[in-house]
Formats: sequence, structure tokens, C-alpha cells
Amino acid sequence: MAHTLPSGDQASDQDKWDSGGLECNQQLLIEIVMRNRLIALVVDGDTTCWVLEQELLHSYGVQTLDVDNSRDAVDLIASNAEFNLIIIEKIIPVLNGLEVTRQIREIGVRCKMLEVTACSGESERQAFLATGVDVFIEKPLDPEHLVPILRELDRQ
Amino acid sequence: MDFVNQLQRKFIDYSSSLHREGIVDDQFTQLRKLEDENSPHFVMEVASLFFEDCEKLINNMAIALEQKQGVDFKQIEECIHQLKGSSSSIGAMRVKNACIAFRSFSGAQNREGCLRCLQQLSHEYSLLKNKLQTLFRVSVASRCLYVCLVIFCRENEHAEPFPDVLVFQLEKQIVAAGGSIPRVH
Repeated sequence: MAHTLPSGDQASDQDKWDSGGLECNQQLLIEIVMRNRLIALVVDGDTTCWVLEQELLHSYGVQTLDVDNSRDAVDLIASNAEFNLIIIEKIIPVLNGLEVTRQIREIGVRCKMLEVTACSGESERQAFLATGVDVFIEKPLDPEHLVPILRELDRQ
Repeated sequence: MDFVNQLQRKFIDYSSSLHREGIVDDQFTQLRKLEDENSPHFVMEVASLFFEDCEKLINNMAIALEQKQGVDFKQIEECIHQLKGSSSSIGAMRVKNACIAFRSFSGAQNREGCLRCLQQLSHEYSLLKNKLQTLFRVSVASRCLYVCLVIFCRENEHAEPFPDVLVFQLEKQIVAAGGSIPRVH
């Protein structure tokens, strides 16, 4: 997918967004993402899922780094790697997603964290939100959930 | 050109039937939108990954359920969790629904129920794999024919059999079926 150079005019982005169609909005979102050089960490032990999540993020211009276990995720964060967005699955090798979220927040990471999991119950959702996850999503990760988050990262 | 049109119609009809039968849902349609000229076989490649993971998980669950010393239901639940996630992500609706039913028996530690669910899950997986592999074969055949058609037209400026209007119609059919037009240089 060809990516154009960022427009650099944030004040007009809202007007363009409101007046544009679907393809226009995707292109605008790619400009926004590339202007901010957004980078996401995807933590998921399932190959199919992280390949799909990675491809979806790439389609919006987000760079990604993928790890398939919690130990690598925590080590990466502890080594001062910075991300705009962290996506975590609930059940991952070594430590579960809840514990990893807690450790990442304890390190001092304040970026947006998404819990994207296969099975969700209200008690699990509340537990993750209490630990420091910002958004709790049942798989699949889709544009309907991702686009507002990317736009919010731009406003920040 | 008639055989090309027939192949395209077959692709469209077959693709629609997968949705009608509940084999795949809208998420599968979303995946196909991620295909472009840089990754024209993306869905096929992801499906292959899914098939590999799915077979491994089904096999692991079968082994776990056969353990004489006691079934590790926690392991079963983790396998179901992973399979539900990947099947949801690829749009494999009936496999996903089979996982949901399986999870309730696993949660209740009902071995007999789990065995029945595993059988159902295996059946749904086999059905999905056969259907998707057929779809991909037709898709690849259509793309190859399209590429040959375009090359023929470009190298034979005075050839009449494949006028531009038919190339255009074929492009429209490929896009309508959710595919992308291969770039022929």
C-alpha cells in the first residue's frame, strides 16, 4: 500500500475526516499515524492472531514489534524500548496477560494498553481494567476498535 | 473468454456459499481487504498458519482427553482459548462456535462432553479446510488466467479474441468477489 507524506496540518484533519469516505479516511489515518510514527508492541502466543493483528496495524501505517511470550515483553519494556501502543492477549506463555500488564505498569509505562483476548467475562474485564489496561476487546481486533484508538493517540 | 467468465462465476458463487453456510463470517471478508499487490496471497498464507496451529491444538486436546491418570482440563481450556481466538480472527465462524460449546463442557470438567465436542470441532475444521483450499485453488486459477490474458493482449495488439471490454469485465468480477487485480508489468 503506497503511503503519502504527512500533511502536517492537524487543524484540518477533523474536517477532512468528517467529509471523507471510507478510503479517504483510511488514507488520512495513515497520514496521521506516519506523522506520529506510531509503534505498537503485540504480545500474543498464537501465530495466526499476531500475524493478523500485525497486518491490520501495518495497513494503517503503524510499525510493530511482536513477541510470543510475556518474558520477552517485560524484558523489552525494562530495556527502555518505547511504544505508543501495547496489545496483550490474556493467555500467553510464561506469565498470563494480567500479570504482564501489572509488571509493565509497575515499570512505569503509561502508554495505551489494549487487552485483546479470545474469551472474555465481565469479571476478567474488570480485573484487567483494574490492573491498568485501557481497553478490553474480544478478538478479533478490528478497525471499528482500532481506528478510534489511533486517532486518540494522534490527539495526545 | 467463456471459460474465464465461468471460472469467475464459480469463484463468486463458491465464495458466497461459504458465507451462506456459516463456514466463514464478515471477519474473513475483512481479511481479504488486507490483501494488496505487495501481499496478494495474504489470506492463503494466514489460512495455512491457522490450519497448522489448529491441527496441533486438536491433537493436543485429543491426547489430553485420553490420559488415564486424569484429564488436565486446564490444558484443554488453554487450547480452546487459543483456537477460539485464532478462529475468530480468521473468520472461521463454525469452528469458533464449536470452541464456545467445547469450553462449557471443559469448564464443567465433563470428559464425555469434551470428547463429543472434540469430534464436532474436528469435523468443522476439516470442512473449513476443504472449503477454503478449494476457494484458494479457484482464486489462483483465476489470477493465472487473468495474467495470461493481459500479457496476451499487450503482446498482440492486433489480436481480437480478448478485447479491452472483456478484460475490464474480468477485473470487475475479481474485485466484486473480493480479490485484487495483480499488477502485470
